[in-house]
Amino acid sequence: MLRKLRKSLIWYAFVAPTFILYGLFVAYPTFETFRLSFYQEVATQQQFVGALHYIRLLGNQVFLAALLNTAFLGIVFLMIIIPLSLVMASLLNNLRVWSNLFKAIYFLPQITSTVAVALVFSYVFQPNWGLVNGLLRQLGVDPLPLWLAEPRYVLTGSRAAVTILAIWVALGYYMLIFQAGLQAVPAELYDAAVVDGAGPLQTWWLITLPNLRPTFIFLFVTGTIDAMSRFSDLWMLGGPAGTPARSLQTIVLYMYQTAFESNDFNLASASGVILFVVVLILTLFNFRSFLQREFSGQSGA
Amino acid sequence: MASSENVSRAQPVWTLRGWLSSHRNFQRLQQVIIFMIMVVGAVAMIAPFEWMLATSFSRSANVAMPRIPTFWPADPSSFNYKVAITNLPMVRYYLNSFIVTVASTLGYLFFSSLTGYAFAKGRFVGKSVLFIILLTTLMIPFEIRMIPMYLLMRQLNLNDTYAALILPFISGGFGTFLMRQYMSAIPDELIDAARVDGASELTIYTRIVLPLCGPPLAALTVLSALWRWNDTLWPLLVISDRNLFTVTFGLAMASRSQGIYTGVALATSAIAILPIMILYLFLQRYIIRGIMLTGLKG
Repeated sequence: MLRKLRKSLIWYAFVAPTFILYGLFVAYPTFETFRLSFYQEVATQQQFVGALHYIRLLGNQVFLAALLNTAFLGIVFLMIIIPLSLVMASLLNNLRVWSNLFKAIYFLPQITSTVAVALVFSYVFQPNWGLVNGLLRQLGVDPLPLWLAEPRYVLTGSRAAVTILAIWVALGYYMLIFQAGLQAVPAELYDAAVVDGAGPLQTWWLITLPNLRPTFIFLFVTGTIDAMSRFSDLWMLGGPAGTPARSLQTIVLYMYQTAFESNDFNLASASGVILFVVVLILTLFNFRSFLQREFSGQSGA
Repeated sequence: MASSENVSRAQPVWTLRGWLSSHRNFQRLQQVIIFMIMVVGAVAMIAPFEWMLATSFSRSANVAMPRIPTFWPADPSSFNYKVAITNLPMVRYYLNSFIVTVASTLGYLFFSSLTGYAFAKGRFVGKSVLFIILLTTLMIPFEIRMIPMYLLMRQLNLNDTYAALILPFISGGFGTFLMRQYMSAIPDELIDAARVDGASELTIYTRIVLPLCGPPLAALTVLSALWRWNDTLWPLLVISDRNLFTVTFGLAMASRSQGIYTGVALATSAIAILPIMILYLFLQRYIIRGIMLTGLKG
């Protein structure tokens, strides 16, 4: 027994650094966020207040608007990027020349820092002389859209501008993941479809799409988490308050503003816990709906 | 040869339908259409960068922008770049970014592979439990932990130090997981043979296992470098000393003060973007391969 433990010792030494750092920077902070959310600082002392902050948050218009906004921006983004990148990846997969060059170009915004990209786009969307409106003016559009200065839910408002930005940034990455998925579809399936006399569109619909299920799950789950924790680009474009009129404020921006501008770490922690719960539910939901479809598909076959 | 061509020409070639009925012509048309769609997308990807460059080289852009976007400066001048470099210590920012990125990436590679090796080939009590603990928390976003992390850094007096930017990121569940997956595929015989020869586990790790782990190490290098180089939120919390600003963070802070000078602001972003883009030109294949292997993005 002792000898066995001594033999194990070297392995514990290998594992120890990761787990010490993990405890300090993952386990402890996660636990502490939960704990802080149930306390209130009164004269530098932390006092237990139960669910007070959660009740405050659920009655707080600003927080609820940020929560809704995060969901809205995320859903619209995923609804556009997933079909768009799938079609683009399928096309690129069939292109025989320059496909690696295109892949590299589409990936360009992804390696550029979000901050730099957002900064450039604040000028691209400038209403009077920005790149987008300058081109629209050439096309005779009048009146020109306000983009980042328009807080309402319209197709040319601030939300649309940041969604275009997000799609422009993410397209190359989503295409890359879809291409990896497409290349993993067994070639025999396509051969069999050709033998059966299926056309290219039929093949795509009946063979390609069902075989991409793991890719869809992966992109939905990671895309959801990314959308829920969106911060940097919106912070650059609209500041911590998500200007104009909080139309760009997400939960993480709200958290940042509450913690580091209002110095209310407890309330901010409570909003962090809500973010955590939402991410967890959405992730499980994404998994479940896809697993369910897989299950019913199998029983039907 | 002539006869086979005649057979394939079932319809006369002078009608479009006839031309398309040849399989080869149909394929050609398809290729041209796909190519054109891809070119449109590629132009959309490059145009904002090109416009940024054109504007950054235009001195008059600070005063009045042309109402029709130009992709070539009307009055080429390096004025904006001179102002940008005088305004901001960009060299210092680059040095900071470099120190932070290299240090945290080296740490990330070392600890991920060391712990990954233990999980792949080690035999110790509690191995699977520890691994499961690591896995279940893989999905906890940084944003949820950031407030206590900031408070911890403040308690440890590490705010406004390089350590604050490096320490929290020198190990990670994902890196460990990826290394473990890859190392599990290394044959046990190889490692057992070395053990019989009396090699210590540390020697086996450095001499035998690590040299076989090129692909996952390259992928983790790409990911960690992109994460650290582009991070904004964490520096925003723990760094207020201008001497410790990274390129990305310095650009973010500067944009608040010089936003009205379009030419200077875009020159500053060009200084932050271009070196990375040039690096990407050379390392493009490795970067894309790394992202494909892990499925994660920068």
